[in-house]
Amino acid sequence: MNLASLLSKDRVSLSLKPGKKDSVIKDLVYAIKKGTDAELIVSTLLKREELGSTGIGKGIAIPHCRSLAVEKLEIAVGRTSKPINFNSIDKKPTSLIFLIIAPPQDPGNQYLITLGKIVQIAKEITKKNLIQKAKTPEEFITLINDIEKGLTKRK
Amino acid sequence: MTDVIEMHLKLLFDLDNLIADMEEPAYKKIGFKIEDEASLELIRKRNQLLKKLPEELGQIYEILKRRYRQAIAPVESEFCLGCFQKLPTELATRSKEIITCPNCGRILYWRKK
Ligand SMILES: [Zn+2]
Repeated sequence: MNLASLLSKDRVSLSLKPGKKDSVIKDLVYAIKKGTDAELIVSTLLKREELGSTGIGKGIAIPHCRSLAVEKLEIAVGRTSKPINFNSIDKKPTSLIFLIIAPPQDPGNQYLITLGKIVQIAKEITKKNLIQKAKTPEEFITLINDIEKGLTKRK
Repeated sequence: MTDVIEMHLKLLFDLDNLIADMEEPAYKKIGFKIEDEASLELIRKRNQLLKKLPEELGQIYEILKRRYRQAIAPVESEFCLGCFQKLPTELATRSKEIITCPNCGRILYWRKK
C-alpha cells in the first residue's frame, strides 16, 4: 500500500502550533482520536519517546506506537510554524512530524513496513531540503506521493 | 472494572506491545535509537502497572500473555480478533465486567464507538 493513500488532508496540518514536545504530540493525536482513547495513545507515545527520541534529525520526527485504541493504521502529519525541541538525535530543532499509530493486531506487518517507508521518505525530504516546500495539505500529499514513486523506481 | 483499572490494563497492554516491538528484528532494522537503561525502566514501569491491577486480573493477564503474547483481543462486529471466532450474542454487549473469549480465553475489549 502506498503511503500517500494513508494520508488525508484533514490530518495534515502545516501550521501546527509550536510548543513543548509533549503538547505537540498531543495536538496531533487529538486529530485522530478524542477522550480516553487519545489519552491512552499519548501515554504510550510518550513512553516510546522515553526509550529514545524518534526525532531522527535534520528537522524531522516520527513518533509511533501500537495502541489498543485504534482499529487501523492512523497517520497524522504536522509542520510547526516554528521549529521545536524534540530532543532529536542531532540535537537540532524539529518542524516536520509524522505520527503513526497502529492497531495491536497487524496482519501483514503493515505497521513496520509503513514506518520503514516513512523513514526513507523523511531522509529524501531532508536530503532535498523539502520540509517547507508544500504550501497546502494537498501539495504535501502530492509531494509524498512523488517521493514515494521515485523511491520505488530506484529499486 | 472501574475506568481507572481499565486504563491501567489498556496501558499495560500497549506497553507490552511496545516492549515486544523493541525486540523485533524488523523494527530494529528501521534504525531508531533505543537507550538500554530506558528499556529496563520501561519493564519496571509495566511491572508496576501490573501490580495496580486486581490480583486475579493480573494473574489472568500474565498467563494469557505467556500463552498468546497478546493477552487482550479487540472485538470487531461480534468477532474475537484473537481467534476470529464469532462471539455468542449475549456477550456482545459492552459490559463493565472482565469478559474473556469463550473460545480462546483472551480478555475481550470492546472499542468505544
Ligand atoms: Zn477468542
